[in-house]
Amino acid sequence: MDKLGFSFDQTLCNGCKACSVACKDKHDLPVGVTWRRVAEYTGGTWQQDGDTVVPNVFSYFTSMSCNHCEDPICVKVCPTTAMHVGEDGIVSIDQDKCVGCRYCEWACPYSAPQFDPSSGHMTKCDMCADYRAEGEDPACVAACPSRALGWGPIDELRAEHGTLAGVEPLPDPAITRPRLVIVPHRDAQPTGQGTGAIINPEEL
Amino acid sequence: MNVHELPMIMFTTLAQMSVGAFVVLGIIQIVAARRFGSDAIDKVTDPALYAIGPAMVLGLVASMFHMNDPMHTLNVLRNVDSSWLTREILLGTGFAGLGFVFAFLQWKKLGSVRQRQALALVTAVVGLVLVGSMSMIYYSLVTVPAWHTLATPAQFFTTTFLLGALAVGAALMGAVMWRIRVASRDADGVVGAEQTVVDTTSRTVLTSSLKGIGVAAIVLLGIEFIIIALHLSELSGAGDVAGQSAAVFSGGWFVARLVLVFLGAGLLSVFLFRYASSASTARPLAILVSSSFALVLVGELIGRSLFYDSMFRIGM
Repeated sequence: MDKLGFSFDQTLCNGCKACSVACKDKHDLPVGVTWRRVAEYTGGTWQQDGDTVVPNVFSYFTSMSCNHCEDPICVKVCPTTAMHVGEDGIVSIDQDKCVGCRYCEWACPYSAPQFDPSSGHMTKCDMCADYRAEGEDPACVAACPSRALGWGPIDELRAEHGTLAGVEPLPDPAITRPRLVIVPHRDAQPTGQGTGAIINPEEL
Repeated sequence: MNVHELPMIMFTTLAQMSVGAFVVLGIIQIVAARRFGSDAIDKVTDPALYAIGPAMVLGLVASMFHMNDPMHTLNVLRNVDSSWLTREILLGTGFAGLGFVFAFLQWKKLGSVRQRQALALVTAVVGLVLVGSMSMIYYSLVTVPAWHTLATPAQFFTTTFLLGALAVGAALMGAVMWRIRVASRDADGVVGAEQTVVDTTSRTVLTSSLKGIGVAAIVLLGIEFIIIALHLSELSGAGDVAGQSAAVFSGGWFVARLVLVFLGAGLLSVFLFRYASSASTARPLAILVSSSFALVLVGELIGRSLFYDSMFRIGM
């Protein structure tokens, strides 16, 4: 069975956060639980150009949810096996097993597992399994007005967009091997070589 | 101070103390039995042994509060294959169970001395593997720089032996004071009671043990300070996320932790070592070792709290 993943084209994203709101709305997520988040990464300074001083300030967005990794650290550490991988590569949580120890939350470099205080369990993106079963797009993909987000068999996404899976502020993709393809912004900086900062941490 | 992780702070500290105490008692037993025989030693060490169980159980109970859905608790045993947390819980209950069996056999003097010693050895090994597993829960998180470092197992094992040794010292003297108090009701005052309770052999075992505990505490204090220094140095040079963790190890709570452990495991332990033989009555020694233990316990609890505060993860 084809393993599924997301693609994200940074050149098209204007940071409107429609994807984040659509996800929250579709899943009735409580305050504090946000499966898809949009980080604004900004950096730059002034440079001397002959007799002129010019800015080289940049800013770009990264929309991030669960990347349904090929080597999911959350599944490895989960003591209950509630966190598991389906045949389609989707990582999801069996609510009947989860004890809410939050160990997966510590582990995931994408903050994908999120704790829901009302149920006492972890929650996370399952790529809108119910929508997909009806032949529809995940809510975040459907909501994106600039078509920056995509989904499908990861092999097809890679064939179409390339294999890049990490730029700042994302972590080194070697850690968990995310099923994610990124079309980088023209100013995107390589992971681990960033000179900027996330300027909306309170939203993440 | 990290109140949110209080259950884990209590569990890890109490479990490590319990394991350390069990190992230290075992060492005392082995060394002293060669000179005086098992029966004479049991009289001194058994009360301390019985105190380990309640401490461990208290720790395990505390860890239950870390689970937000207690109805699903048994599920935590499902992933022995890859989850250090599952392994920790199995080893923790294993150590507690084996420890209980050993304490019961020791209490009733069932089985031969050799058989009980073999069981004690197995229990101690399970306990040490428990501490190792506990370390791996945090060390294995490659996404958390402050934890993914050899400082984690090094600190956990140091706490194990430091708290364990001082806990044994406090328990040994606590048992003696209790016996003296009981005996003094029937004898001609405290002096007479003490002479009855603490015979020559017991006195020698106690003073030697306390001296050993004092030395161990001082050495372990040195080791702990080295670990802290190296850990801070490592974090400070390892990038933004690690730098955020390093910042946790500054300020009032960090200083308080260092001062408490230094006073308890350093200063008081020096006094303990020096006066263990010359003290004419048990009371000063009991106060000394109990104070040392109390200070270090508080210091280590603060240290563990800072450990959880230092959790900063790479990524977004």
